[in-house]
Amino acid sequence: MKVWVLFAALVAPLGAQSPGVELFEKEIRPLLVNKCYGCHSSKLKTPMGGLALDTKSGTQRVTGKLLGAVRYNDPQLRMPPTGRLPDTQIAAFEKWIALGAPDPRQDTAAAAPVTKAMDVETGRKWWAFQPLRGAPKGSIDSFILAKLKENKLKPSPVVDRRTLVQRAYLDLTGLRPSYEETEAFVADRAPGAYAHLIERLLASPHYGERWGRYWLDVARYGEDNPTSEATNPPYPFAWRYRDWVIEAVNQDVPYDRFVKLQLAADMMPDAKHLDLRALGYLGAAPIYHKDARLSKEVIETLYTDDWDERVDTVSRGLLGLTVACARCHDHKFDPILTKDYYSLAGVFASTVAAPRPLNEVDPETETRFAWAAQRLFFLSYVANLMRNEPGSKPEEAAAKSERYAEEVDKVKEGMAFLKADHPEMYAYLDQIGKRPRAPGAAPVAAAAGGQQRRRAGPSDAPFINAVFDAGLWVDGSDADLTTIEVKPGVARDLHILPHANVSAPGALAPRQFLTVLSKADTTFHQGSGRLELANRIFSDAGPLTARVIVNRVWAWHFGKPLVATASDFGTQGEKPTHPELLDDLSARFVANGWSLKWLHREIMLSAAYRQASHPREDGTRIDPTNRLLWRMNPRRLDIEAYRDSLLAASGDLDQTVYGLSVDLDAAENNRRTVYGRVSRGRLNTVLALYDFPDATMTSPARDLTTTPLQQLFVMNSQFIQDRAVALVKIVENEPDKIRAMYHRVLLRDPTPKEIDLGASYVNGSALAEYAQAILSTNEVIFWP
Amino acid sequence: MLADEQLRAAPRFPNFQPKAKHNIFLFQVGGPSQLDMFDPKPMLLKHAGERPNTVNLRTERTTGGLLPSPFTFKKYGQSGIEVSELLPNLAASIDDICVIRSMYTFNPTHTPARSLFHTGNIAATRPSMGAWISYGLGTENQNLPGFVVLTPGQGSGSLARAGFLPAKHQGTFFDDSVSEPDKMIRYLQNKQLEKQPQRRQLDLIQALNREHENTFGEDEFLEGRIQAMETAYRMQFEAMDVFDLGKESPEMREEYGKTPFANGCLLARRLVERGVRTVHIYYGPGQPWDDHSHIDKNLRQRCPDMDKASAALIRDLKQRGLLDETLVVWGGEFGRTPVSESGDGRDHNPYGFTMWLAGGGVKGGMVYGATDEFGFQAVENRVSIHDLHATALHTMGIDHEQLTYRYAGRDFRLTDVYGEVVKDILV
Repeated sequence: MKVWVLFAALVAPLGAQSPGVELFEKEIRPLLVNKCYGCHSSKLKTPMGGLALDTKSGTQRVTGKLLGAVRYNDPQLRMPPTGRLPDTQIAAFEKWIALGAPDPRQDTAAAAPVTKAMDVETGRKWWAFQPLRGAPKGSIDSFILAKLKENKLKPSPVVDRRTLVQRAYLDLTGLRPSYEETEAFVADRAPGAYAHLIERLLASPHYGERWGRYWLDVARYGEDNPTSEATNPPYPFAWRYRDWVIEAVNQDVPYDRFVKLQLAADMMPDAKHLDLRALGYLGAAPIYHKDARLSKEVIETLYTDDWDERVDTVSRGLLGLTVACARCHDHKFDPILTKDYYSLAGVFASTVAAPRPLNEVDPETETRFAWAAQRLFFLSYVANLMRNEPGSKPEEAAAKSERYAEEVDKVKEGMAFLKADHPEMYAYLDQIGKRPRAPGAAPVAAAAGGQQRRRAGPSDAPFINAVFDAGLWVDGSDADLTTIEVKPGVARDLHILPHANVSAPGALAPRQFLTVLSKADTTFHQGSGRLELANRIFSDAGPLTARVIVNRVWAWHFGKPLVATASDFGTQGEKPTHPELLDDLSARFVANGWSLKWLHREIMLSAAYRQASHPREDGTRIDPTNRLLWRMNPRRLDIEAYRDSLLAASGDLDQTVYGLSVDLDAAENNRRTVYGRVSRGRLNTVLALYDFPDATMTSPARDLTTTPLQQLFVMNSQFIQDRAVALVKIVENEPDKIRAMYHRVLLRDPTPKEIDLGASYVNGSALAEYAQAILSTNEVIFWP
Repeated sequence: MLADEQLRAAPRFPNFQPKAKHNIFLFQVGGPSQLDMFDPKPMLLKHAGERPNTVNLRTERTTGGLLPSPFTFKKYGQSGIEVSELLPNLAASIDDICVIRSMYTFNPTHTPARSLFHTGNIAATRPSMGAWISYGLGTENQNLPGFVVLTPGQGSGSLARAGFLPAKHQGTFFDDSVSEPDKMIRYLQNKQLEKQPQRRQLDLIQALNREHENTFGEDEFLEGRIQAMETAYRMQFEAMDVFDLGKESPEMREEYGKTPFANGCLLARRLVERGVRTVHIYYGPGQPWDDHSHIDKNLRQRCPDMDKASAALIRDLKQRGLLDETLVVWGGEFGRTPVSESGDGRDHNPYGFTMWLAGGGVKGGMVYGATDEFGFQAVENRVSIHDLHATALHTMGIDHEQLTYRYAGRDFRLTDVYGEVVKDILV
């Protein structure tokens, strides 16, 4: 049949399609359309590899490589990546190429490809990488006013003092002032009253609770994993990291040191032992379950996913760069090479998560403990696995289980020396390193124990979820059980993995800093390289790092950043609305020792910050999104400030600073929201309702949605009803209960109209219902 | 700034005239056995206990020889599609069903495979398909969430997450193991105030809000929250109504059955009737279809309720004229192996398994694709999980390559760089 078709084509009259063109139309074009255009079309914003196979020129460019790719000969270039084509289709390509790859398509100018990545040398000139240029007489207001003037706008007047004091309190502590504090500030006409207020608030321990929480969004703080299975149970000590963040922010630890401690406290000679809690940044990072029965390739891929998360969190969170885009290929837009990606990933492949003791012990014991803890966890996992699910070769599995159980004993024996001086450390290891129960002996209880471990809540045992320097390798030599090997003190450089495929490794990528930001050779030599990485972030990348954090702090004060894409300062990100301001403020921030408290003062004392937020006709007409900052941005409170405000208004807020996490839904949990348990797998409903970020990835900013489901919480939840009842109780002895409630909740007197509305409502409904109404009003959740 | 990112993303949807306005996913958690339900393999009996090289694929656990299905298959309907004796009701509706026997996915473990099924990626961080659809098409009913997940007990958010999409697109979980609406939805009911007193309270709140807005000036958030409160107030009653299965006739309840999954199916019909875009029903709790052993006994216990309710849903949608505009998808995160585990069970199989589709512009009475002679690997007209996503979006009028969201420096898609619409199964 085929022969006849071909024959017919060959004898076709002149003027008809040539056989090659016919082959193209019948077989090749449909293949290109169905199998290739998905990634390689000029219609895409970013065709993969800059290759457009819907153009003649693009296709011609690769005819030399095409056959190798579709035949899957070259492990680094297999196309289509979704699976090898059937042999008949590969044969069609072969025939077409043999005919000289005739292609009847006419390229139009518009179809010509294609965006090219920025090369490293050009990249070095990118604005965000330039040294910081301070202005001779820098001040926030001069820059803001200049832009406003250019656009024929005036700033808004200074907000009234009653609103200003609320703004300062909420901004720095996440709590409203009391009515008495408000009145005192309104009455205080001394020239330094406002500056004095800021100092007082910066010294409050509640300041760290507010500003530490902002950082925890960037650090994607969570206390468990997206899923909780045998190899990725919750982090019972993650809350100690959260406490460390709050404490460090309260102490105004300079930002450079603040970050370095989180990446490498264990490598910094001048770090205090308790600063090791900072390592929770890496030690309580999200990880995925690795079932040891999976193949080596799958397990490797899962580890590379874990490392990818670290690269993403560090690069976007600290540097405002999307380095993770370079995992499969060089970055399509930014001057970031795949090699750079694997150079950074190698740092995290040389860093293994493990608990460390909270109490100080000698460094060698500490490393041995960390190693033993992760080793025992793994051994006990595989010993149980082989025991409980032996599959079809039970004898082999039982022998393996026994072998691993013996190793458990051996590791514990090796750590027995802890019993004398550090019994708690030994007890901890003992609890991780359980031998599997004998077969048949109460499997139900064993399963329940496993369940318990998977759901374990926060613990106040004296340990921290941290990391230590060790290279990790995956061993696939046993066909039924893929194991891992962790070598303390040995670093692991990774190979480049084109298309992230672990089966086709490319060249080695030594651990080092990003090429475009490096001033000289930046190869890391010290252990995993975490400390060197941290140092480079503040030396070679210092200007960028400063811009990124200053922009974040600006956004947290004003509700909007200067660079709209707060975690992307690359070519696909937005440019700053006020570049000179960002540069000047960043330069002065660095000159003032990377002090966040300095930055708060600088911002909050500006006239720009003290503007009212009311709408103005000229402003909304000329600059509706307020990019130029002709007013303070009106917005709603985030969930922390909102929930805490409600608890405070009803007199229920427990102001204890620091401590174990407690589920926000737990009865009588009246602690500040920052101490609520943060689950990556099952986020608390109220947090989820109010746009709490997904803690599996670094968050550039919170959405602030307004949804009906939020209002159901406000209208119907036990939480709000409890607040209302408590509020009534507080005012029960007051002669004017309506006024007293206004003082308590809204820090002001009611207007005559509000008194009327209240009085006629209370005449017919219970006072608690009125109290709930006041607590439910817009004003309570509105940024002052 | 999320708004800014959003601004730069996404053209308008639908891209073209959609067939389906709604979609219902009947997610069979754990990985149901295609070999005992939809993909008959007589060769298993012939070679029972053997282990030919072609079945030597690595799965999660150690497996033995070929295990024939203990169930018999017969041809049904005009289409004559073979279905197992376990599923008499679906067999009766087979002419409305398109059975895809050549599904494959990329991971043999539950969690990553489940993530793939719902988000197209093994990492449990990407947006769920329901969130993507909500983002692309918005909602038809402002009083109900656009993406609803029905599951017994408290669901885990990970499969219905909005990920980097705006949070409002995340799935809202409802517990379908209870039949009283106020137990299904948190905060749905005011336990202290009746309808009228609550309205009076809300009138006060809104009067105070208006006073405040008059003083402050016109503001998007203040106005938005006033509206959202009104919607929430109405939602209480609308949801009480839609989630109240007591409003259905006893005959209708009987037709679906009264298990959590059956409740879910019936609720799904009530929800799409009222304009909810996406309903996912998880057959749970846990992962019931994970039959590593005793597959005979287990399937006999589990299939009747699934079969009855799924078929009732198709029939009911059809009778109401809703089937054409509702895509129903049935399947698990993977299928199961033709080789045995623990003697009488089957291991996870991502290489080849069955899913079926009904309605929403998909052909009925059709078998698409095939697995090898033993049913281990998809070999003919292979359909990846990405292809399935692309096809499901296509029925909703969405070009899966156009449904993008700019995040962390690049445009993300549900189908990543993959996915082909399976045109052959479309009407």
